[in-house]
Order: sequence, then structure tokens, then C-alpha cells
Amino acid sequence: MSGVLVIEDDDRIRRSLMMALEDEGYKVRGTATAEEGLAAHRAEPAEAVLVDLMLPGIDGFECVRQLRRDGDATIVVVSARDDTHDIVAALEAGADDYLVKPVAIKELSARMRAVRRRNRGGQSNPGTIVVGDLEIRADAGEVRLRGEPVALTRTEFLLLCELGAHAGQVLSRQQLLQRVWGYEFGDERLVDVHVGRLRQKIEDDTSSPRRLVTVRGLGYKLQR
Amino acid sequence: MPRLGLRARISTTVAVGALVLSASVALLSYQFIRSSLVDERRNVVWRTAYYDASYVEARIGGPETDYVQVLSSFNPGRGRTPVLVVSGTPYRLDVAGVDIPRNLAEMVEGGQAARQVVHTEQGPAMIIGIPLSTGTQYYEIVSLRELDNNLRQIGLVLTLVAGGVTLAGAALGWYTGRRALRPLASVAEAAQGIAAGDLSARLDPQAEPDLQRLAASFNNMVDQLQQRIERDRRFAADVSHELRSPLQTLAAAAAVLERRQDSLDARTADAARLVVEEVNRFQQLVTDLLEITRAESELDLSEVDVLALARDQCKRRDIDPAVVTVVGGEGDGTWRADARRVEQILGNLIENAQRHGGGVVAVRLYQEGAHNVIEVDDDGPGVLPEDRELIFRPFVRGSTAERRGDTDGAGLGLAIVARLAESHGGGAMVLDRPGGGARFRVELGRQSP
Repeated sequence: MSGVLVIEDDDRIRRSLMMALEDEGYKVRGTATAEEGLAAHRAEPAEAVLVDLMLPGIDGFECVRQLRRDGDATIVVVSARDDTHDIVAALEAGADDYLVKPVAIKELSARMRAVRRRNRGGQSNPGTIVVGDLEIRADAGEVRLRGEPVALTRTEFLLLCELGAHAGQVLSRQQLLQRVWGYEFGDERLVDVHVGRLRQKIEDDTSSPRRLVTVRGLGYKLQR
Repeated sequence: MPRLGLRARISTTVAVGALVLSASVALLSYQFIRSSLVDERRNVVWRTAYYDASYVEARIGGPETDYVQVLSSFNPGRGRTPVLVVSGTPYRLDVAGVDIPRNLAEMVEGGQAARQVVHTEQGPAMIIGIPLSTGTQYYEIVSLRELDNNLRQIGLVLTLVAGGVTLAGAALGWYTGRRALRPLASVAEAAQGIAAGDLSARLDPQAEPDLQRLAASFNNMVDQLQQRIERDRRFAADVSHELRSPLQTLAAAAAVLERRQDSLDARTADAARLVVEEVNRFQQLVTDLLEITRAESELDLSEVDVLALARDQCKRRDIDPAVVTVVGGEGDGTWRADARRVEQILGNLIENAQRHGGGVVAVRLYQEGAHNVIEVDDDGPGVLPEDRELIFRPFVRGSTAERRGDTDGAGLGLAIVARLAESHGGGAMVLDRPGGGARFRVELGRQSP
């Protein structure tokens, strides 16, 4: 796993992004279509993938979905579309973050650094946390529900680890953004969508969650 | 003279109609009743007088007749006074009664029965004169006071009835007017709703057949208005959207230039710095424009921890988050609102205080009536009264900004605040902060879940 992959059909945007990211010290590759991008990623998985949503052929949403299925690289959508609808759809397809064009390179770089820190396992998690019938083995990167392994993406896993480490305590969205994503500030919808996806995997009934509950006006809590 | 309202005019018209109708009916009834009563009374009076006259005639044959004795020997009844004139000398029972008018006396002396109505101190009276034999006439003075009283009473009743009918007409007109104008009230309501931004308001053309055309053209007008607004909004959104892609290239390329300016010669580095600065400004402008077009879209409501949002906005700008307080016992700073809009409003107000107001002194969140209120106090020179509305318009910068020659920001920050607040059922204003500085106050309509 190395470097950043930029999947962007606009030639000028791709070239300028690649130049700027290279200046920030990343090893960068770029492709103009999702098909080429997916192939490049399979050939040599990237640490992080920047994906545009409006692509010829396979569109960005589908591209994100396939990237997510292939592995747990950090997927950041960089799109000109800023509807909440699109943002939520992209995050639900499996993106870890969503940035709206034009993105300042400083901000993009800050996010990439956060991704790098995270992927190098900067967080110190206790070995195994058991919350009811949920078992989180942080060191092994494994989660079991009633003994059965649950497949989580890296972001979902880190989110669950953070909540599990503070089981019974409320964590605000901003706290989660800082501790899980490594962002000083960010869009709280990121947290909401990822909590929603996590619930689909660990709750029996997502409409009335019993393990990962919302505390109104405060944040989220993993029930002890 | 001010023009009368539609309702007043309808009411007046119906009242006048009722007056004319009821007055004519009353007048005709009065005439009819009066003439029939008078006729009947006259017939009775004639018959009685002839009967009395024949009685008197039968008893005055002899020369020694005591005329007064004859007159008092029969009882003519109340209100009737018999008078016997023999050879020009009147004999009567009352001492000072009504005199027989001259012309009536002449007619009766000429051998002809006659009558005349006279007005006495006791009211109207009828005098009947009947010639008996040569030189002798019998008169009967009959008081018409009772009849007159009756007629006056009937007249009064009829007048009252006519007045009542007129008033009832006015009331009916007022009521009918209200009924007739009720469909217009729904038109007014719909128009008000549209002015307030609810473009979904329409009239039901089936509701009032007489107003079908009005409803149809009204709805058509609103349709066109809506289309126009939608077109404008989409255009603005499209333009901003199309600007995003080239801006992304510019932003990335500018970042490369900025990073490498040390390796450029002085002149190129200067030019590069200008490009970078302008790109940043341009980027902010486009983001702001998009924010304004977003104000037109629907609210995305949820329970928002505004206290946390405000503190977060302060932290981002290196302001002590302790300046943010929730005032009053009501609520914990969590409002049902559109999170993005509230965040944008807070960010822009705090930014504005920092940039133009000498820093944030306090941020207060509280609930007041139907509004959630955000107040941001700054430590600047305040805003001149003549600028207080102006600063919320797009591309207007406060006079303080102009004085400082500040070229940062496109001047859209407060315009966005105003637009977002309006779209959230409220508004924005600026006041004086007690103790100097400005107080920006944003009200957001409280949303029901």
C-alpha cells in the first residue's frame, strides 16, 4: 500500500491536484476513468484514493462501492456536487470523507496527513473490549457479534473501537471526528453516516438501536 | 371624502332598498287604513245625526217648545254635541262649545245637509248640519279625537316597522357582503403566503364558481412566478457549479506556485503571490454565492447542538469557546434547526466580529417567543444607524472595512447571514451593544418537529 490515487476525468484538475499533492510529499498516481483507477488500485493498492463523482463509464458512486469491496483504503470523494443527498449517498457507498470542490490544498493535505497517521496505527487501543455480546479485538482488527465475525471497514472499525474504549460514555460528534478521523474540524454528517452504517452491521433493528445509541444533543454512546 | 369600502357599499345599497320598499308599503297601508276608517266613521256619524235630527224634529212642533229640554231629553253619546238653531238662535247644552262655521251655516240654511271638519282645542271634530223646517237647523258636533289618535298610533307603528326593516336591510347587506367577500379573503391569504415565500399556495378554482376566473389567473400567475424563481435559482447554482471545476485547477496550481515561490525570481514570485491571493478570494466568493443560492432550498431539520457548533466555530478561529453562553433556563442550547445554516450563520457572524468588529466579546444563545436567538457582540466601533440595513445587502462592506482598505472577503458574509435567517423563518439585525461595539442579532423561527 503506497501513495495516493487520483481518479478524475478533468485533465487539468487531475494534473494540478497531482502536482500539488506531490509537492506535499505524496507519491501520486492519476487516472481519468473509474475502470483505469480500479485496475491501478488492484495492481498496486493505494493508501488513499481521491474520487470524482461524475465520471464517464462507471460513475463515482459505483467506483467507491467497488474500491470499498476490494479493500480498506481510505476513500475521499472530491466533487463539485454539494447536495446533502449526494454526500450521504457517497458516504453510504463506502467513502470515508467527502470534500466539495474547490478544495484548498492545505485542507486536502491536512486530511491526507490525518489518514496517514491513522493508517499507521497512531491510536493506542486496549487489547480486547467486550460489550455485551459484542467483542472488539483492537489488536487483531477483528469484531465478533455473538461469536460471529463482523466485516467492518477501517473507519467503521476505528469508530467502534473509540466508542468501545469509552463504553457507557457519550462521545460528541466533534470528539469522534477528532479521534477517529484525526480532523481538527469537520462535517458532522460524516459521523452520522458512519454510525448509520455501523448500526446496520451490529444492530438487530436499526430503527431502534440498542447497542449504539444516540444521545440527543450530545452525541453517541455504546451501551455497556 | 374617503371612498366607502365594498362591504359598506353593499350594506348601504341594501339598506336604501329596504327603506324605499318598507316606506312605500307603510305609506300605502296607512293611506288605505286611514281612508277606510274615515269612511266608516263618516257613515256612522251621518246615520246617527239623521236619526237624532228626526227625533228632535218630532218634538219641536209647538211654539212653546223648550229647545234645551228637547236636546237634553236624548243622550247622543260621548263626544257628540247637538246644537239646534231656531230662527238664527243657537240652542245647545254646552256653554262654550264649538261655533258653527259661517259657510256651513249658510249651506244648511239654504236647505242642504252638509258637513265640515274643524279643528278644535280638543282635537279634530266633524260638524254635520241638517235642515229641519224653514228657519230651523240641527247640527251635531262629533269629536274625531279617537279616530285621530288611532290613526296616529297606526302611523307610528308603521314608521317604526319601516325603520326596523331598513336596519334589518343594512344588517343583511353587511352580512351578505361578508359572505360575498369571504372567497376574496382566501385570495388575500394565499397572496400573503406567497409574499412570505410559500410558493406552493394555490386557490381552488372549484371552491367559488363566481371567482373561477380570478382563481385561474391567480394560480397561473403564481405558477409563472415559481418557474421564474426556480429558473433564476438554477441558473445561479449552475453558474457557481460550473465555476467550481476551473477553480479547483486554479486552487491546486496556485498552491504549487505558493510552495515554490522561493525558487522564483522576485518579479515572478510577486506575480505568483497576487495570483494566489486572488484565487483564494475568488474561491471564497464562489463558496459564498453557492451559500446564498442554498438559502432558497428547503430546510433540512434535525436536533442541532447549537452550543457545540458555536464553540466549535470559536475554536476554529482561536477564540476562547467560553464566550459562548446559553441564556435563560429554557433549553440546553439544542434547537430543532437546519444544522448547516446555523453553522454558516455562526461562522459568518464570528468571522465578521473578528474581521471588522475588533473581536468577539460574547456569543449568546437563547429562546424568545417563537424564535431561537443568536447574538454576537463585538468590540468594534459599532455600525452607524444609516448603515444598519445596508450591511446585510450583498457586496456592501461596512464603512469601517472601507476605512481600513480591507480587501479580504467579498462582502457577502452578512448578506448570507440575512438570507439564511430569512429562509429559517427569522431575520438578522444589528444593534448597539451596551458599553460600545455592535451586537448582531439573528432570529430563527422555532420549528415544530
